[in-house]
Amino acid sequence: MTSAQNTQGRSLWADAIRKIKKNRIAVVSFWIIIAYIGLAALCAMDLVFTSYSLVDNTIPYQAPSSAHWFGTDLFGRDVLARAAHGTVTSLIVGFVGAGLSVLIGTLLGALAGYFGGLVDELITWFYSTLDNIPYILLLVAFSFVSGPGLKTLCLAIGLTSWVGHCRLVRSEFIKQRGQEYVQGAFSMGASHARRIFVHILPNTLHLILISFSLGFVSAIKSEVILSYLGLGVEPGTPSWGMMISDAKLELSRGVWWGLAAATVFMFFLVLAFTLFNDAVRDATDPKLRDK
Amino acid sequence: MNLNRTFSRLAIVFVALSFLGITLGCTKKNSAKENVLNNAITANLKGMDPIYANDAYSNQVISNIYEPLFEYHYLKRPLELQPLVASAMPTASKDGLTHTIKIKKGIKFQDDEAFPEGKGRDLTAKDFIYSWKRLADPANQSDGFWIFDGKIKGLNEWREKMGKGEASYEDEIEGLQAPDDETLVIKLTKPYFQLYYVLAMNYSAPVPKEAVDKYGKEFINHPVGTGPFKLDSWTRNSKVVLVKNPTWHGGKYPSEGEEGDDARGLLKDAGKDLPFVDKVVYSEIIEDQPRWLNFMKGKLDIVIIPKDNFDTSVSGDKLSKDLTDKGLKLEINEEPDVTYMAFNMLDPILGKNLELRRAISLATDTNTLLERFYNGRGVNALSPIPPGIDGYDKDFKNPYKEFNIEKAKEHLKKAGYPDGKGLPEFEYSTTNSTTARQMAEYTQQNLAALGIKIRIAATSWPQFTDKLREKKAQMWGIAWSADYPDAENFLQLLYGKNVSPGPNSANYVNKKFDELYEKALKLPPSPERTVIYKQMKEIFVQDLPWIPNIHRKAYVLYHGWIENYKRHAIINGEAKYIRVNLNQKAKLAEKL
Repeated sequence: MTSAQNTQGRSLWADAIRKIKKNRIAVVSFWIIIAYIGLAALCAMDLVFTSYSLVDNTIPYQAPSSAHWFGTDLFGRDVLARAAHGTVTSLIVGFVGAGLSVLIGTLLGALAGYFGGLVDELITWFYSTLDNIPYILLLVAFSFVSGPGLKTLCLAIGLTSWVGHCRLVRSEFIKQRGQEYVQGAFSMGASHARRIFVHILPNTLHLILISFSLGFVSAIKSEVILSYLGLGVEPGTPSWGMMISDAKLELSRGVWWGLAAATVFMFFLVLAFTLFNDAVRDATDPKLRDK
Repeated sequence: MNLNRTFSRLAIVFVALSFLGITLGCTKKNSAKENVLNNAITANLKGMDPIYANDAYSNQVISNIYEPLFEYHYLKRPLELQPLVASAMPTASKDGLTHTIKIKKGIKFQDDEAFPEGKGRDLTAKDFIYSWKRLADPANQSDGFWIFDGKIKGLNEWREKMGKGEASYEDEIEGLQAPDDETLVIKLTKPYFQLYYVLAMNYSAPVPKEAVDKYGKEFINHPVGTGPFKLDSWTRNSKVVLVKNPTWHGGKYPSEGEEGDDARGLLKDAGKDLPFVDKVVYSEIIEDQPRWLNFMKGKLDIVIIPKDNFDTSVSGDKLSKDLTDKGLKLEINEEPDVTYMAFNMLDPILGKNLELRRAISLATDTNTLLERFYNGRGVNALSPIPPGIDGYDKDFKNPYKEFNIEKAKEHLKKAGYPDGKGLPEFEYSTTNSTTARQMAEYTQQNLAALGIKIRIAATSWPQFTDKLREKKAQMWGIAWSADYPDAENFLQLLYGKNVSPGPNSANYVNKKFDELYEKALKLPPSPERTVIYKQMKEIFVQDLPWIPNIHRKAYVLYHGWIENYKRHAIINGEAKYIRVNLNQKAKLAEKL
């Protein structure tokens, strides 16, 4: 599959990369994202901020100091370390949750757009029905039934947020399926699967990538909301949502640092992803190619 | 520091605004002119059927709608029983086995569609017999049958036959007779000194057969009682609205109380007709902060101070100036209760390995728990029996209640799991408020220090209690608040015949303990009985089906416009005594 992508999209992608490299905001955003991924990897391997679960009941709710830059929480744990470890949770949810939803959305969208007719009607009916239920309610309902936990959280986000991707991919496939290169592939005897996955899909990849990164941001936000509501990750797991949930009680005793740390960490990740996403969209948009 | 303040203030405003947005949406503004008492319950209400009233939240609401035979005097301390639906206190035979109770004439069930033409009919002694059979009927799976279990002649036999489908509600029961409409005769199998206490519990409140037949399973949502208030509406998971019952038989505000009540202004309404308010609202607010903010805005009248607002509100048992200026009043009450972590004794590991439970107990740091989650409001609990109840002994020793990780590790080794190796992950059940989750995390950390892993399962209160009833929980955190002022009420939680769906959710069975329990039941309050209670406590400590945590102290705040408020955890039906001073409310509301 990758070889086909290379042969087909080289000029578009090479062009895009060239454009992104010129865009300073995009480059900074890119490095911020890489930094987050690096931080998450190091945290997951327990190489940095190893004190994240170290309880010290003698120093609860300590204000920020040189020993604890973002203070300590209810159990005397270092807030900065917890926020850093929250990155792991967020990135896992972002990648797996958004990945799953893109996978489902792309597959169904491709089938609907490519085959049309009854298949299209069935899939359109299905996602329209699903789409009628407000997303957050659906997500909460799913999490409520399946109980808290990282796995179910990813599953919940993946299974409830694919409609947007599906719609996008479907319309793109409808547009592409009549194109000459697809007709050409057909006349050369390419099977349906080959036409879908080898020929059309690579041509929609830039859209899928953008859609994924939007989904990524939304998945991170969903995790925070669900954890805030007590339906997210298991209690005890470092998570920004959980920190914000704690903060709603702590603020009245003047403890703001938990909220601040979680918000700052989330803010920069979401901002970087959004800006980078914008840059990628501009760079791969054929209409803007000559600008 | 200034920056800290500004930050925290900004953040408070932000969170407060968002919460107000949510809560304003659900609680419509009660105008200052409306004579309404605004209360909050801290968990979701399960329903309003007396036979399922096993939790504080249902009891708070039900006590206004249903009425048992007796109630506690509102002001006198120690608690004293007085007739409510009964016309006088019962007369007992010399052997203490036959009790005759006269019922007040002219008590009517609330008007309801279940009755002909919607008019509530007179309450009779037969309604009690029907209601108690309903409590005993195994098909209903009530958790309240323990109040009569093995105590009333013929009732257990009837229950067994019902289970086999060989009996009906028409059958006579020897121990429950109604010679006429106003007389109820109870015959006991053995002396039962808590009988009058349990006849003051909602489990024993009369319900009309017509309504049970009409509503069937929905009866839990259609309460029809004889009480001062009746249900107006219930928006599930949001609020219950009760309105004055126009056909209530009436009652008078007490004209005497304990010393000091007069000075506190608690006798101003002596002899006046109850109730004073037209409406009582119970908002179901699980999270501490919205409850607190609603209270501070005057949308709730009474609240227990949440842990995170305690330090800024109270110091040295005095309210801060800021709050006294707003006319708020503080009442501090030692609660007859115990919070604890329980094990399901049917669990193949936790229930069967005493050394493991000892290790967990030794690893539990109660003092930090008390500081962190209760702001020191309470005492370290060493046994189930709380202060103020016969059988409490502050010098009682529980060798497993010292916080000692080294000892805990030794016991864990003896248990066969050195450093927790070989143990599976346990599930710890709790409810889904933020504070409950934080407390569960605290337990998780205490056990992690031993190498024991637990997974926290947080659910709503009704789901949580279902799990206990169905014996599906492994270990959990919960509290028990006295139903009546007798240690027996705490010890019955460990009695072998009360296992789930009864109140013994830990499913703890110890023959010796049960024998002592049965022996104590036959004894009146006496030094002899206290000795037996002590022996039972010793057995409890040896077996550790629970780890007792805290006997709490309640710090209750109420607004200056609330009059006649006096707290006792056992008295639930206080709404009928409370007066809302509307002039005062109009004045004070401006300061909020």
